[in-house]
Amino acid sequence: MKVLLVGGGGREHAIAKAFYRSSYEPRLFCVSELVNPGINRIVKETGGEYYVGNPNDPETVFQAALKAGVDFVFVGPEEPNFRGIPDELEKGDIPCIGANKDVAEIEMSKASMRDLQWKYMIPGRLWYKKFRTFEEAVPYVEEYAESVALKPARQVGGKGVKVIEDFQVYLRDDKKKVKKQHIESIYKDYMKGYEDMDFKILIEERVWGPEYTLQCFTDGRTVVPMPAVQDNKHAFDGDLGPETGGMGSIACGMNLKWGVDDDRAILTEEEIKKSTEIVRMMVEAIQKETGRKYHGFVAGQMMLTSVWGPTIIEMYSRLGDPEALNVLAVLKTDLVEICESIISEKLNSIKVEFEERATVVKAVSPEGYPLSRDLAKGHPVVVDEQEGVFWASAHLKEDGVIETGGSRLIECLGIADTIPEASLIAERLTSKARLADGWGLFHRSDIGSEKSLERRMMLANMAREIYKYRERKGILGKRIIWVPGKGLEEVG
Amino acid sequence: MTGILGIYLFDERWNAGSFGAYGLMALQHRGQETVGLELFGKNRRKIAGEGLVDDVLNKLDAEGHICLGAVSPYPVEVKEDIPPFMLSEKVSVAIDGRVTSIENYTWDNSLRYEENLRKAFERFSKGGSDIDILKEFFYSCRGGFAYIAVNDKNEMVAGRGSLGVKPLALGKFGFEGGIIASETCVMDVVGERVPISPAENVEPGWAMVFTSFSAKWVKSSNSCKRAYCSFEYVYLARPDSYVNDIPIYRVRRSIGRKLAEESRVDADVVIGVPETAIPFAMAYSNETGIPIEKGFELTGRRVRSALRPDQLERLKGVQLKLNVISDAVRGKRVILIDDSVVRGNTLANIVYLMKEKGAKEIHVRIGSPHIISHCPFGVEVPPEDELIGRHLSEEKIAEVVGADSFKYLSLNGLVEAIGLKEEELCLGCFNCVYPEV
Repeated sequence: MKVLLVGGGGREHAIAKAFYRSSYEPRLFCVSELVNPGINRIVKETGGEYYVGNPNDPETVFQAALKAGVDFVFVGPEEPNFRGIPDELEKGDIPCIGANKDVAEIEMSKASMRDLQWKYMIPGRLWYKKFRTFEEAVPYVEEYAESVALKPARQVGGKGVKVIEDFQVYLRDDKKKVKKQHIESIYKDYMKGYEDMDFKILIEERVWGPEYTLQCFTDGRTVVPMPAVQDNKHAFDGDLGPETGGMGSIACGMNLKWGVDDDRAILTEEEIKKSTEIVRMMVEAIQKETGRKYHGFVAGQMMLTSVWGPTIIEMYSRLGDPEALNVLAVLKTDLVEICESIISEKLNSIKVEFEERATVVKAVSPEGYPLSRDLAKGHPVVVDEQEGVFWASAHLKEDGVIETGGSRLIECLGIADTIPEASLIAERLTSKARLADGWGLFHRSDIGSEKSLERRMMLANMAREIYKYRERKGILGKRIIWVPGKGLEEVG
Repeated sequence: MTGILGIYLFDERWNAGSFGAYGLMALQHRGQETVGLELFGKNRRKIAGEGLVDDVLNKLDAEGHICLGAVSPYPVEVKEDIPPFMLSEKVSVAIDGRVTSIENYTWDNSLRYEENLRKAFERFSKGGSDIDILKEFFYSCRGGFAYIAVNDKNEMVAGRGSLGVKPLALGKFGFEGGIIASETCVMDVVGERVPISPAENVEPGWAMVFTSFSAKWVKSSNSCKRAYCSFEYVYLARPDSYVNDIPIYRVRRSIGRKLAEESRVDADVVIGVPETAIPFAMAYSNETGIPIEKGFELTGRRVRSALRPDQLERLKGVQLKLNVISDAVRGKRVILIDDSVVRGNTLANIVYLMKEKGAKEIHVRIGSPHIISHCPFGVEVPPEDELIGRHLSEEKIAEVVGADSFKYLSLNGLVEAIGLKEEELCLGCFNCVYPEV
């Protein structure tokens, strides 16, 4: 058996490892821009080949798949989905695990995702506005002082989101100014070069609560959830600093438990059920809307909010990075078997099982990430490779030297009975990398610590208390506002 | 004591000015003599003056994504010493508390405090301003203090001396940056509203270092000797703040309960002296079942009378602040609760006013032990010969102030109300026992 993996980050290294474990012993091929040293080793060991090329270019991937003569292709990141790689392969009769261009719209266009959610009245829908130009959005920001998330309307590599809490009237002018500047840069910088969408700017209501990613397998008929994972987006310890692709993630059981034999959990089983139902409804809606089948991964990047309980922040058309590491580490079922059942649309005929263990991932990044990636790039790396160390944004050059790619360098995985214990294991692994030129590396030591877990649970409880009240009152998700002089307005 | 704050926003498009101004307003209770706010961005500019935040920072025309500010209760001799002050040409600093000595530096008593710090820093840094040098310099300082410093590369370091005398907390501002301040109420006022405790305690001997692409904790000392200022809990901090992760309001209520246990007396009404003693009085009333009443109404601006530097000003403050509401006290036996007694003359004034309005009996209860000694870490305590508690018994004080009875909270009662171990607290002003620095 032969499999072609598209993409070369930490997530793809974890996928490669999962294939390496398979009893089908597939030969692994890979196409990506940088040569990931970890994937490269597995490719070499299994007798495959590493193609250096643009994973977003349909022709490149198609030719690689043809040349290798693979049984199926597995797409890691989102951008190849957006560029229609699964569609191109389908045309050539090559099976593919990856959302096709049409269904991947639920991730690519954050605006269409909200349209869809409201059209089909799927729970957990946030209030939003979309704009075609900067000029169109300005009067809105001028008029309404609200706590908002300002987003590029397209998924642009997880960048460009700014969340501005605008409650204190005495700070309103400063916040308005930054809001305007930011939507201008969304329009002029972040959306630059993406001509595949009409709408450029999305403004959503800001909500609070614990976040979690609910990743699922789907063959278009069945949606099978994996353990919920909590990612940590802030760059620095204590949830401080700019937003990153994710500095680390935790999971235990399906509902983010403290430990294997522990009743404490961030989410309830009921909330997981509701979240899975929301993701299933999204898959159903996008298939209905496009008339196409969804083969691959779908994930709700969710938040337990006081307004709705389980709420969609964004959708993924693939596994999360680093969330993929948490779930694949405890996946008991053979990944090849799952892939084949997705291709043949018989996912309901197999039992997908996960081991109940606590997993913690910590990413190690070069200084400069995420705001000045140019500074973070091109530093020679020394890594003492051990079980649990995954290569992420790194490039193995022909002379054997490994260089940083500018994003997260390695991702360290700890597995144990409780999240705090797994965190300590991951923490020890973070010291296994250094940069030969003395440039600094950083990671978050607080991910999965007892203190941070306690805080997350406290936050979940506070959100839960309010959304349960709303549920009892029958006003879940509704915003009821008295506008003096105008009357009662109801949104939601 | 001083109120200090530093705001570090990573995105240079922000102007931290108003955040700093409103943040200082939230710290106004820690100092009402001078205000200073310095902004760092493309340029660097300091606005400073004497008075309240409202007066000094009402027209804020400076810009920068980083700011450093302080409100201070100390009058200054020269305007440049208004904190935050220049530690060198390149570095500005705001300090709460007192640096009492510096390793390898002999204090020059002919120089002002700020000048000594400058001289010591000049020797230590040899003209440098790297954030590591700055950090190391504060490691070499001894005393009871918290500090925030910003250098010419727009990097910030903020930390607490290893004794932990003075408080410091870290708050967040979403993905945009961090806020460091003496008290957590600053985070409520200008930070992101998060429904769990808005801030994290900065542990003694730790510092937080911000650069344009990092924010990290560094540990400067392994010493586990602590001397948390107990007066923060009694009087200094705002009741909506947390100090060392302990909610001030909870301590103030415990103090009221302790007073009820220790020195109960039969009476008709409980009245707290605004503002600090109100939670004491509420808890005393809850505990005893004696109803609480509003006893005073204020005229003019709210100022902290005990912090006014001269006697006449203090009395002026008290008389304007504390007009007795006659109907609350006429013909009644009153339990009057105040936070502390320094010289006793403001208390005497209050008791006199209350008797004049017809109170039948007045039993004074004080939410702290007697103040008998100075504070080496900057809390302004008058000379020892002025301290009434150092020289007179409770019975004598009752006679002096004109009350029917007078009782302090016991030292043990205070320690228990705070909830920390006695050896972790500095109780110097109450018992003359000071931590070794």
